Amino acid sequence: MQRQDMTRRASPGGRVPALMVLCATVALTACRGEEIAHYRVPKPSSPPAGAAAPAASSPMVPASGQVPTPPAPVAGSRLAWTLPARWTESTGGGGMRYATLKAPVEGRIDVSVTVLPGEAGGELANVNRWRGQIGLPAMDAAALAAAREPLRTKAGTVSVYDFTNDAGAKSRVVAGLAVVDGNTWFVKMTGDAAAVAAARPDFLRIVESLRRDAANR
Amino acid sequence: MTPPIVERVLRPLVSLKLTIACLAALMVLVLACTLAQVKLGTWPAVEIYMRPWFVWWDVPGTEWRVPVFPGGALVGAVLIVNLLAAQISRLELSWSKAGLWISHAGLVLLVFGEFVSGALQVESQLAVEEGQTVNYVESPRELELAVIDVTDPAMDDVYSIPAARLERGGSVAIPGTPVAIQVRRWFENSDLTQRGPTDPPSPVTAGIGTSVTVRERPPVSRDDMTNQAAAFVEPIAGGRSYGTWLVSNGLGAVQSFEHEGRRYELQLRSRREYLPYAVTLKDFRHDVYPGTQIPKNFSSLVHITNPSRGEARDVLIYMNQPLRYEGKAFYQASFGKGDTLSILQVVENPGWLLPYVSCVLVAIGLIVHFAITLRRSSKRRQAPLEA
Repeated sequence: MQRQDMTRRASPGGRVPALMVLCATVALTACRGEEIAHYRVPKPSSPPAGAAAPAASSPMVPASGQVPTPPAPVAGSRLAWTLPARWTESTGGGGMRYATLKAPVEGRIDVSVTVLPGEAGGELANVNRWRGQIGLPAMDAAALAAAREPLRTKAGTVSVYDFTNDAGAKSRVVAGLAVVDGNTWFVKMTGDAAAVAAARPDFLRIVESLRRDAANR
Repeated sequence: MTPPIVERVLRPLVSLKLTIACLAALMVLVLACTLAQVKLGTWPAVEIYMRPWFVWWDVPGTEWRVPVFPGGALVGAVLIVNLLAAQISRLELSWSKAGLWISHAGLVLLVFGEFVSGALQVESQLAVEEGQTVNYVESPRELELAVIDVTDPAMDDVYSIPAARLERGGSVAIPGTPVAIQVRRWFENSDLTQRGPTDPPSPVTAGIGTSVTVRERPPVSRDDMTNQAAAFVEPIAGGRSYGTWLVSNGLGAVQSFEHEGRRYELQLRSRREYLPYAVTLKDFRHDVYPGTQIPKNFSSLVHITNPSRGEARDVLIYMNQPLRYEGKAFYQASFGKGDTLSILQVVENPGWLLPYVSCVLVAIGLIVHFAITLRRSSKRRQAPLEA
């Protein structure tokens, strides 16, 4: 392995007045730490089975070697759930989705599981985003607390929200979010109010069944 | 006899009042720095109060900064000069004063050692899971945009662009490659959320960032908080743009593009320093007292492999027993992931011995001075008896 620090362009030679030397010194000091370094290193060793590399102190460090979509949560902090009868699921589904669930109901409906690092903007911002998606105005923290329905699961308490927009074509969103090991998990069902109402009991059963899954998916 | 001009200069420098003023200023600085750590965290507080020559105050509503108090560096420097001047002008060069000479030298060395640490000490972390081998340490406070040529099946070419360079924006040419990175925007701290239909348009056109909304957040500095930095970057190679990408230390995905048969990965991550040796974690132990959750011991059994020295050996690192290797000290610092991940604090400080040496010097000096004084005193007592 070798390290080659890329050298900066040196000042032209010859006699340089003291003031210029001073200025150059100050300039170099100001730019110190901005050099582009080059390392030629062996490919990183794969972490042992079930591990995904990030450190506890820096949970956002990406695992290397693959191009996972969506981002893989820390191994051991992945969640699993139990599907009710006739529900199906597929991994991913585009964007930052972890999984897409298919509910056996008629009408426009979309059920997704998404995981994002950190607080992902916070609970209030995400709830207001969901409300915005069905045309409802934003709510404040006090209203948020009133709307929250905590659901105890093996993965911890999940905050569940249920909003319906009665104007025009009725839309409804039922969604839960939980923070597990520094990642925020979203389980969300949205669509026509009738379809969402029909799938709601099964959806809540899915949320209740959330648990940690150490196994690789 | 000392020339009058030299004496005029030396007099204020040797003043004991100056020593007291310096010690008082240090007390004020330590108190202010300790209180500031509650809000700012350890490092920013130290950078504001202890490391600089002055403590600066930003005048509200202006771009002016005014010094309001001497910083730790200035007080330390004045204290060194004060001690040296006092030593030179007050203390006679005789055996009877040997203890004081040694003690003063120890004190000067102590303050000087802090300057050495401030200028040269580098702290980083090594996080390794059981069974994993790691050949780099990471900076807990600095980030880098790593552009990694992963084409070679055995080796990676890592080009590290420090975050400080990204903050300035503009184009960053990567020497030795046809690639240049155009930095469109830098966020020191941000929130990443899944893109909603009402979110404003994003400049990102490639990679996972197309489905992410980035919101700027005020930077944080407390020890228990981490900035989630992000940047919009556009790789350009051979006059061709490969789109605008979102990179962030909060994105759990590695993104890559291909140019003329070579694959380049983009990762914004903690700044790495690669080592000429590798560390494998064989076992991490977190022992508790029986029947309680009170920690008794944390230890990491690591295997060091250093091909340049033909070395391969096991080392046990545990509390207060660091591994000192090739100028770095590896301390057991933290752990995680169900006791399978060990985090070692790595400190590189060429002056790490100076505080120990200075303390020993001060102690020896005081003992010598005490012994000399005791001998003199007992002689004085004995004299009348003999008379």
